[in-house]
Amino acid sequence: MKAWPVVQAATLLLAFLAASAAPDPRESILPFSISMAQEDWEKEFQAVCSRTDDAMILTVQELRILVQRCDELKTSIDRLEGSRRKVLLKRLQMCRDLYAFTLDTKERD
Amino acid sequence: MGIVRFLASFLLLALLLEGAASGRAIPPPEDYGMVMIGKLSAQTRMPPVRFDHWLHRAFYTCRVCHVEIGFAMEAGGTGITDETNAKGFHCGTCHDGRKLHEEKTIFPSCPYPSSPREGDECAKCHSRGNDNERAYKYATFTVSLPKQRLGNLVDWEEAEARGLVRPVDGLPDLSGHRPSLAPQADFSISSRGFWMPDIIFSHRKHARWNGCEVCHPEIFPASREDSMKYSMLQISEGEYCGLCHNRVAFPLNDCAKCHSNQVHR
Amino acid sequence: MARFFVVVALIVAVAVTAEAQTGVKKRRPLPYEYGRVILNNYSEKAGFAPVVFEHWLHRSKFTCRLCHVDIAFAMKAGGTSVSASDNMSGYYCGTCHNGKTSIGGEKVFASCSKKYSSDDMTRCNRCHSLGKNVKPQYDFAAFTQRFPKERFGNGVDWEKAENDGLIKPLDFLEGVSVSRKPLAVQKDFALDAKLESMPAIIFSHRKHTVWNGCELCHPEIFTGVKKGATKYSMVEIFDGKYCGVCHRTVAFPLIDCQRCHTRPVEWHKPA
Repeated sequence: MKAWPVVQAATLLLAFLAASAAPDPRESILPFSISMAQEDWEKEFQAVCSRTDDAMILTVQELRILVQRCDELKTSIDRLEGSRRKVLLKRLQMCRDLYAFTLDTKERD
Repeated sequence: MGIVRFLASFLLLALLLEGAASGRAIPPPEDYGMVMIGKLSAQTRMPPVRFDHWLHRAFYTCRVCHVEIGFAMEAGGTGITDETNAKGFHCGTCHDGRKLHEEKTIFPSCPYPSSPREGDECAKCHSRGNDNERAYKYATFTVSLPKQRLGNLVDWEEAEARGLVRPVDGLPDLSGHRPSLAPQADFSISSRGFWMPDIIFSHRKHARWNGCEVCHPEIFPASREDSMKYSMLQISEGEYCGLCHNRVAFPLNDCAKCHSNQVHR
Repeated sequence: MARFFVVVALIVAVAVTAEAQTGVKKRRPLPYEYGRVILNNYSEKAGFAPVVFEHWLHRSKFTCRLCHVDIAFAMKAGGTSVSASDNMSGYYCGTCHNGKTSIGGEKVFASCSKKYSSDDMTRCNRCHSLGKNVKPQYDFAAFTQRFPKERFGNGVDWEKAENDGLIKPLDFLEGVSVSRKPLAVQKDFALDAKLESMPAIIFSHRKHTVWNGCELCHPEIFTGVKKGATKYSMVEIFDGKYCGVCHRTVAFPLIDCQRCHTRPVEWHKPA
């Protein structure tokens, strides 16, 4: 479809605008990069797991997105090897489980 | 077939009897509650230490030593060394040459590293129970205390009630200040033998000297929901009630002291 | 025939006094021993003495969260399976123990190395010290001398030590920790004791989250989402679950009943 690049650009622009209220990637709930390169997942990890301390004030929707992002990150981290993989998988698991737990708490309320 | 069965039953009987009747001699009253602490001393070629419970129990509650200071209720189970004593733990908590008891300085325990010159001082404890000059002698100490027919021959409960002994329940630097917990109510324990009355267990009497922490959760782990099963066999082997009773507190031969519930379910 | 022997075996088992977990009273750990963890997943297999890790020193310098979340140590001895290669790659102990990182102005000694000579053994023995008479760099008595005292455990009131500024546990390590937004404060709440005459427990989230953050306890240790959802009693706690994960061996011990059971209950003298 010829209009596809336009649609892509428009989506990116919209995403950027939505995220522009909080330009710092650590502040944004929405993913700031669509495709994840090797270094990007590190930034993504930092971004996703930085909200564990204020998980209780996030909305249900935000928590769902965070859990989803954690699951996507797992595939990138799974491709690593050795000690790094072991440590990061554990850290990701603690982070994801906390969001899932908080989500569960809010949904039952 | 018949012979095998006979042998099996004989084996069974022998095993049961072996556990029950070990033929323990009844120690003289001043030796009741005596612990020979010698595990590490033998390695350092020091004679074992004779520790008498009757003296310390008159001054301190069980809780102070077995919870605050952390002594095990088992000879050799604590791992007391000259180093731990010198650093102010275990015996050295009080026996440091500085702390006072009834306005008298408590004699110091081990120096560390140890040196040979302190020969006589060491013999104060490392005496192997030989007759050495002791500050407190059993006969004179207990002469005016109310009597009981077994154990130390002293009714410690009555002695405390009359104010003749005043066991202290805390040490100044060690114990901190906490509001005391209310002891649980007394309750009845069913005895397994139909010929024995049920036991009335008094939490109040035990908590007076033990607090909660001596017994719970290590000796008696349960709450009401997790009911415990133990028998006189285990008690006589020195577990549960037998950790104290038969070794330091009044001995198990005094059946009626516990089996006192007139109503038997 | 077989049934007969089964019965005999059962009776023998009952008659013989087995090694009892209950019904005995063991020694209490001394203040400098409290919080000691022995790590031996691979040490002995590699020909080294097992590692002796003392919590008291590290807890005075770092929060629980830094090691147990950011560095991902398990909360159980042997649960992490730290190997020499993990350390050499800069993970687990090797996160700081790499000969380069500075903590409090001091370079932290390196942990495991691929090649080592007999000269290095002094360094190896600093950690692989079980059964060896190794003199530690920090002496417990000297280190904790000025700290406010408490009974049991390490004998130190760590909370008060921090409030008084005597210790400043680090919660963030550059390049390791995730930079987090500050914590939303959770409320304290009361938990009723199962035994009526025991005072209720006032649980302070604030005190716990200062050192633990959220992920350390939730959901691994406390899975119930609503207060009261997880049913547990002192039996499980003494067994090392729930509160007992920390308060049996590292944080102030469970023998200090009144530290948690603080809310007084009207007590009626029993008849």
